[in-house]
Amino acid sequence: MTTAASGGAPPLELSVAHPTAIVSPAVYASELTKLYHEVRALDGLSMTVRRGEIFGFLGPNGAGKTTAVKLLVGLARPTAGEAMVLGAPAGDLETRRRIGYLPELFRYQAWLTAREVLALHCRLLELPKRTWSADIDQSLEVVGLTERAGSKVGTFSKGMQQRLGLGVALLGAPELVFLDEPTSALDPVGRHDVREIIRALRARGTTVFLNTHLLEEAEHVCDRVLVIDRGKAIASGTVAEVVGRQKTLRIKVTGLNGLSGLNGQASSTLPPGARANYDTPWLTIEGIGEEAVPALVTELVSRGGLIEEVIPARPTLEERFLELLEDK
Amino acid sequence: MRAAITIARLTTQEAARRRLLIVFALLTVLLVGLSAWGFDRLAHSRHLTSGEVAVSLPQALILFMFMFSFVVGLSAVAIASPTVATELESGVALSMLTRPVRRSEVLFGKWLGLAAILGGYTAAVCALEFVVVDAVSGFLPPNPAAVFGYLYAEGLVLLTLTLLMSTRLSAMTGGVLGAACFGAAWLSGVVQALGAFFRISALVTFGKVVRIVLPTDGLWHGAVYYLEPSPYLLQRLGEGDGAGPLPFISTASPTPLYLVWVAVWVGLVLTTAWWSFSRREP
Repeated sequence: MTTAASGGAPPLELSVAHPTAIVSPAVYASELTKLYHEVRALDGLSMTVRRGEIFGFLGPNGAGKTTAVKLLVGLARPTAGEAMVLGAPAGDLETRRRIGYLPELFRYQAWLTAREVLALHCRLLELPKRTWSADIDQSLEVVGLTERAGSKVGTFSKGMQQRLGLGVALLGAPELVFLDEPTSALDPVGRHDVREIIRALRARGTTVFLNTHLLEEAEHVCDRVLVIDRGKAIASGTVAEVVGRQKTLRIKVTGLNGLSGLNGQASSTLPPGARANYDTPWLTIEGIGEEAVPALVTELVSRGGLIEEVIPARPTLEERFLELLEDK
Repeated sequence: MRAAITIARLTTQEAARRRLLIVFALLTVLLVGLSAWGFDRLAHSRHLTSGEVAVSLPQALILFMFMFSFVVGLSAVAIASPTVATELESGVALSMLTRPVRRSEVLFGKWLGLAAILGGYTAAVCALEFVVVDAVSGFLPPNPAAVFGYLYAEGLVLLTLTLLMSTRLSAMTGGVLGAACFGAAWLSGVVQALGAFFRISALVTFGKVVRIVLPTDGLWHGAVYYLEPSPYLLQRLGEGDGAGPLPFISTASPTPLYLVWVAVWVGLVLTTAWWSFSRREP
């Protein structure tokens, strides 16, 4: 696990598609601060989102996630700090053509049909008129609303409106998509569909900024995550880095010929700091990494052990998340 | 500008889909139909002399237009008060404001769309009313186009003011405030007329100041002036200085300078609305 990126000049990276081209990060924020009267919604938030990655922006309710997204898409201005999106200051008019946004509060003109809402956004995006029909059809198909294309949005359930919002965000093949709690109104099938859409976006090189408090969602799709609380970044990295390496291993083993070096103390087979406890038939080892497992299993077999199960007990992102919040 | 036209079209489309245009059409038929019946009775009354009819017809039309000016004013307030506020509160504005459009284009587009709706409604009622009254009674105001222009300008002033409020206040609060401003400005016109009648200069000054701060009543008196054909009435009731003892009398047309001020006023308020909207964080 690493702490959030510090301020300074935005880091540059090499584009995969054009190895010689130097491109800016999809999102760069330095010491972003937002005050609403006395309330400090964001408190010096810094982060970098690389191009083409799925970036999970995690935090409990009221942590400042939506405020940060609003600053990045230009709906609000920071009290202090700096934010760059696709190499331009956040909110830049031209850059907005390359950005999609699904707001947390997703509402669309109830008196328009789904197709008309999408056509309105095609017009606002100034997409070529000859491609509107195909763009709209594709968008409706991706979010599963083809059959309701001609229905008024006012007749839609919340889940369908959220799907429509996702379709709106995907119009014009944006380079960067901000999804603010994109599955909050969806059933399990809908959530699965959204995960598939996000993976498809990654496959075509689109950067996804996924704002969520659903940790399972982040664990499934995100390349990297950043955890914030009370407007501050408290952890960032890959999910594995944030969760930490495998800590506990449980092995169901019988017929062991001697436990010296394993029971209650370290052994040459176990990494430094690891401790084992054998309560027949379960051998529990704490503080062991994945790389040490093969050697351990080999040693147990050499001692005559009959191994029935090997269960890595890695903490979930949720458990780590709660730990982080408690630490704060 | 293209985005502003898109938003203006969206605004008129919303009015049509929400049945506002149908309601306006039905109201027009109802109002004009009732007034046609009333003017027919008045013009062909056996209890009035031809001279009394000649004096009564313009007065009746002024009364009708006075009522209609309230319909125009309150309609302007009603359609403008939710236009920005509700979209910000509901979240409808969020996805639109992150598109490559300026807030000024969104606001101007909304103003343009609402102004078109109000203009169409005002023009339809004025035209139908004048045609019908002329047909049933033979009376036509001296300058129907000017009457329409002043009534529409009155509506535009309230529309613009309420749009400004909508960038900061809820639809309900903005609506109440817009209607209250309209009523207060009208009342200040009455106060000015009373001041002129009783020769109380402070009340006259107060009325004049209000006409500058919120020019709805000044514009209403412009409409009244172009509805009056009767020098007899003006001579009998007029007090000069553009105001008589009632809000239904006007002895002079608003000056060109006043009309320029009204245009500047609308521009200033619209600019303030843009400034306010551009700083609003949804």
